[in-house]
Parts: sequence; structure tokens; C-alpha cells
Amino acid sequence: MAATRREEPSLSVAAVHLMKGVVYRDTHPVPWHHLMRLQAQVRDYVAVLGLTVVIDEAEGYAFLRSQPGDDEADGQQAIRRLIPRRALSFHVSLLLALLRKKLAEFDASNADTRLVLTRQQIVDQCAVFLPASTSEARLIDQIDTHIGKVVELGFLRRINDAEATYEVRRIIKAFVDAQWLADFDARLAEYAAELEATR
Amino acid sequence: MEFDEVEWLRRNNAAWRLLRADHAALVLSFLGRVFVEENVRSISGVELTARLEDELFALNERLGAGTFPRAAKSYLDDWAQPEVGWLRKYYPPDSDQVHFDATPAVERALSWVQSLQARSFVGTESRLNIVLELLRQMVYGAETDPDARLAELQARREAIDAEIAKVRAGQVEVLDGAAQRDRYQQFVATARGLLADFREVEANFRALDRALREKIATWSGSKGELLDEVVGSRHAIADSDQGRSFHAFYDFLLSPQRQQEFSDLLARVQSLDVIGASDPRMRRIHYDWLDAAERTQATVRLLSEQLRRFLDDQVWLENRRVMDLLRGIETHALALRDQRTDGLVFELDAAAPQVVLPMERPLYRPRAKQPLDSTVDTGEPDVDVSRLFEQVHVDPVPLTDAVRAALRRSSQVSLPEVLANRPLEQGLAELVTYLSLRDPGFDVVFDEDRRDQVRWYDPDGRTRTALLPAVSFLRRVPALDRV
Repeated sequence: MAATRREEPSLSVAAVHLMKGVVYRDTHPVPWHHLMRLQAQVRDYVAVLGLTVVIDEAEGYAFLRSQPGDDEADGQQAIRRLIPRRALSFHVSLLLALLRKKLAEFDASNADTRLVLTRQQIVDQCAVFLPASTSEARLIDQIDTHIGKVVELGFLRRINDAEATYEVRRIIKAFVDAQWLADFDARLAEYAAELEATR
Repeated sequence: MEFDEVEWLRRNNAAWRLLRADHAALVLSFLGRVFVEENVRSISGVELTARLEDELFALNERLGAGTFPRAAKSYLDDWAQPEVGWLRKYYPPDSDQVHFDATPAVERALSWVQSLQARSFVGTESRLNIVLELLRQMVYGAETDPDARLAELQARREAIDAEIAKVRAGQVEVLDGAAQRDRYQQFVATARGLLADFREVEANFRALDRALREKIATWSGSKGELLDEVVGSRHAIADSDQGRSFHAFYDFLLSPQRQQEFSDLLARVQSLDVIGASDPRMRRIHYDWLDAAERTQATVRLLSEQLRRFLDDQVWLENRRVMDLLRGIETHALALRDQRTDGLVFELDAAAPQVVLPMERPLYRPRAKQPLDSTVDTGEPDVDVSRLFEQVHVDPVPLTDAVRAALRRSSQVSLPEVLANRPLEQGLAELVTYLSLRDPGFDVVFDEDRRDQVRWYDPDGRTRTALLPAVSFLRRVPALDRV
């Protein structure tokens, strides 16, 4: 196929891969290469759809995001957003926040790029925040479900190792950012206050 | 050294802990062979486990089963624990398999143990020469007065001239055998030491990086001050004393002339008769240096790179903000722990647009029905099915009775004691039944640390032996007595 020839970067390859999901430098070398050489064109192209490209060359990933402000844009001009929003339960959100914290701590303490956690480590981290009444086994089941959800979201990756281990994908930094965490924190505070008031 | 200092080291130093460990011989011989002798700097967990398994098997075979009862993987996991610290466990960027490298502690312990082996003779002359040479380098290397430098150079030239004149006159001084062996010994020790040092150099770089990161993470002043304080330049690591010395060494090593000179000299030294059995490792020691130095070099590069990224404005601010926010989130989450949270839903953007193409869906296709014919034509109506039922069946009741009988005499009885009175009749199946007995009158207790041997005769009269964890039956104290 002419489109995948190395010497001729192809806008199609770069754009289609981005439409399908995150492009990683290590796992998608070919589309990554095309994307790097055609950043400006890809940017212009997806802008038509109300999207923008986020590229983190240092971390080696790229993905599409809705252009900011589009949803609340005034009147008929607003473009319908193409990127769906995922609804997350409280515990999955909390797990995301905790994983983000782990990554920040990890970066602050050593220079390895890959944060790998065992299932047990994740369980230990979460267990404190789940109702104490549940039995141990049920608790672990619940956490497993949450972990599964986060794997599905693409922020954890199961590692094919003998033990149950997960890599925290560094792209979590782009989604679970300070802004999102601040909103999360505010909502929790609000909710806690509501509960207090109704009691 | 003060008492407390030594005591602290004895308890906390990984190398000393290694020497004190019960299975130090295993650790030192195994890790020493893989990481020091073979100069491996990174090995996958699977490969290392397989090698240790072989090693354990051979040792258990030789020293008796149970000398090293645990699985290879569990030993490795132990050695890699941060508080043990003999192996560094990490995930390289391009592999999903955990990898290992030895820590400097292993090198240290090993070199100490090696120093215990008696040396045929201890050469001192060459070391004196080295010491003198070092002093000379320091004194004249730091001399800024050109006259003094010139005087030194003149003196050296005169000494060389005198030597040339002597040789011209036919007086050639030759190093005697002892002097040659002395120097060779010195050379081997230094060459090996250098190789060992790389591991420590690398570990020190990592420690430096960690210290910097800690400082950055807990910094409360402005970003500018931080940069002034910690990393005047982006080469914080490469510019440390250690970094400079290491780079000078590396450049030296990389020069093709030097390499050629080194190889030639080495080959000639190895062929000298007086050296006798030369150390085979020395033949390619400079390649080993090169390998090790390259790895260390790569580590330094990576560390500098990551550190710079970590210091990047946005990352720096974001990480600090994240840590602050998380404190609030954790507090709130704890407060909500026992509340209903079904009503709480949060939103997160997906990482890609959702493209639904209706025409991509396959059309309905009726499934072809497969008739199922379950009638079986055996062809041979008279199958002897009795064999199916002639499997071994062990009745646990008599076994339970035997145990109870034994427990009437004492409150605890071991499995071999029970078997002494009532030998196994049905072999392994019966033995397994003993292990799974359930009875309100007694408990079955396994002791994984001890092993019992059980023997019986199979129907053909051969002796069979099973090795199993020590099993005892404990008489249960009636519930009333306990209250």
C-alpha cells in the first residue's frame, strides 16, 4: 500500500489511527512516525471536526480531544462533540485519582519510566476507602471490577508476567490532570456537605 | 570506628547482611557467577529464575533434598526486596518482563570473600610505585608555576636520557619474575576492581538522581530558586565529580588508539612465561569494561533526560498540584466511605471519537441447523464396565479410628507414629486420605518447615517412600474446657 511507505508520510494513516484511539510511540511506530512529520496537517484536518491533537513527544503518546469550549459555545454554531464522555462511578474515579498520585510519587522518587503495580498493591491502596462492612473477599472482587474498568479505559495495562501486575500508563497524566482532580475534589466536598445537611 | 557505627552497619548494610545470611554461600556463588563473572548487567526474570532453578536442583541433589526448599522465584523475590537489597528489580522500557541486576552490595561482599582466599604471594613493590606515581601526578598536576613544571619535565628527561645511555652501553635492566608477577597481580586486582566499581558508580548516579528528585518534590520556594539551588545546568548528574571522572574514563576507553595499545600490551603480558597460569578473564577485560561503561553511560543519559523532563515547568507544577489535591480527595473519600455513593457520577473524556458505522454491521444470517444424533453404536454390546468401578477407594472411617485410638494415649501424635501401628495398605491414596481427615475430635496440623518420611510396600512388594511436610494430629480440647 502506497500509504504506508516510509518516505512519504501519509495524512490518512495518521488521522485514521488517531480517530481509532491513542497512538503510542512504542506500540504504534508507523502511525507515530507519520504523525510526527505531519503534525500541522493533522491539526488542520481534525480542526474541521472540532477536534484538536494532543501530542506529548516526551512521553510518546498522542490522542484527540474536543476543542475546548465547544459544548457550551453559544447558539447554533456549536459543533456536536465527537468524543464521547465516559461516566465513571465514584470508586473508579477514586481509583484513577489514586493511580495518578502513585505516578506523581513514583516520578518524584526515581527515574524509571514504567510504574508497575501488583494487584495486591492496588487493592491495599483502595481498601481504606471502601466501606469497612464488606467482607474481605467481596472487597477484593469489587476492586477487581474497578481495576477492570480502568484497564478498559486504557490507563492500566495488564502485564504478561507470572503475577497479576499492571502498568500504570503514563497517559493517565493527560486525562486525570489537576483540573479534573480539582473538579473531583469539589464535587466530593459538595456531596459530603449535602449529606451533612440532610442528616 | 565507633561501636554504634559498626553496629549500625552490621544491621543495615546490605553487603554485611548478605555475609550474615544463612544462605550466603548460595547468594554469593550464584549472583557472583551470573552478574560478576559473566558481567551481566541486565537479565530477564524468567532467565534468571531458570538458572537459579538449575542451581538449586543441583545443590539439593548434592546436599540432600530440602537444603534449599523454596522455589527459585521466591528466593529472587526475597533478594530483590528493598530492605534486603541484593538485586535491583525493574521493568525496562521495551519489555514486559521484570529484569534484574545485582546491586553494589553483592560486589562488595563478593570481593571481601575473595580477599579471604590465600594469595600465593603478596606483591608490594608495584603498589609502592603506583603510590609514588600518584603523588607525583598530584603535585605536578596542580603546579601552576611554569618554571617548576619545566624543572620537573627536565628531570624526567634526564632520567630517560640516562636510561637510554645505559641501554646503549648494553646494560639492560630486566624485571625479574617476582616483579612481573607482582605487577600482574596488581593489574588483575585493579582491572577487576574497576569492573566492580561500575556497578557502584551507576548506583551512585541513581542515588544522586533520587536525592535531586526528592529535593524537587518537596521544594517550597520558587522555581527559579530551585534551579539555582539544585541544577545550575541541565547536566546536574554528568557534572558531578563522579560524572566527570566517569566521562574522562569513558572517553579514554573509547579512543581507538588506546584500545589498540591496550590489546597489544595485554596480549604480550599474557604470553609472558613468568606469569604462569594467566587469568582467562583478563584477555578480554577491556571489552567487559566497555560493556559496563556503556551501560553506565546509558543510565546517566537516561537519568539526565528524565530529570530534565521532571523539571519541566508544567510537569513540575502539575505534580505538586496533584499531590495537594489528592490530600483533599482522600479526606473527602474517607468521609464518604460508609455513605451511599451511587448518585455520584463523574465524567471523563474518551481518548478517541466514537465512530459508529451502521453499514459496517454484518447482516443477519440465519444459522444453519446441525442435527444432533446422540445414538451411539458401540458395535460391541458387552463392554465390561466393572473396571470403571474398580478404582481405589479409601474409607476414611478406619483411618479416623486409628488416629483417635492413638490420641487416647497422648494429646498429640505424628503421622509416622500412627502409621507405625497401622501400616499403609493402599499406598499413596491412603496417605493422602490421612492428610485430609476431618473430625471433630482432632485437628490436622502441617509443619512446612519439617519433613517426614513415610514408607510402605506396594502390592508387588517394593518399598515406596514419600517425603511430605511433617503432619501431626492434635487432640481437640472440648469447647467446654476452653471456656
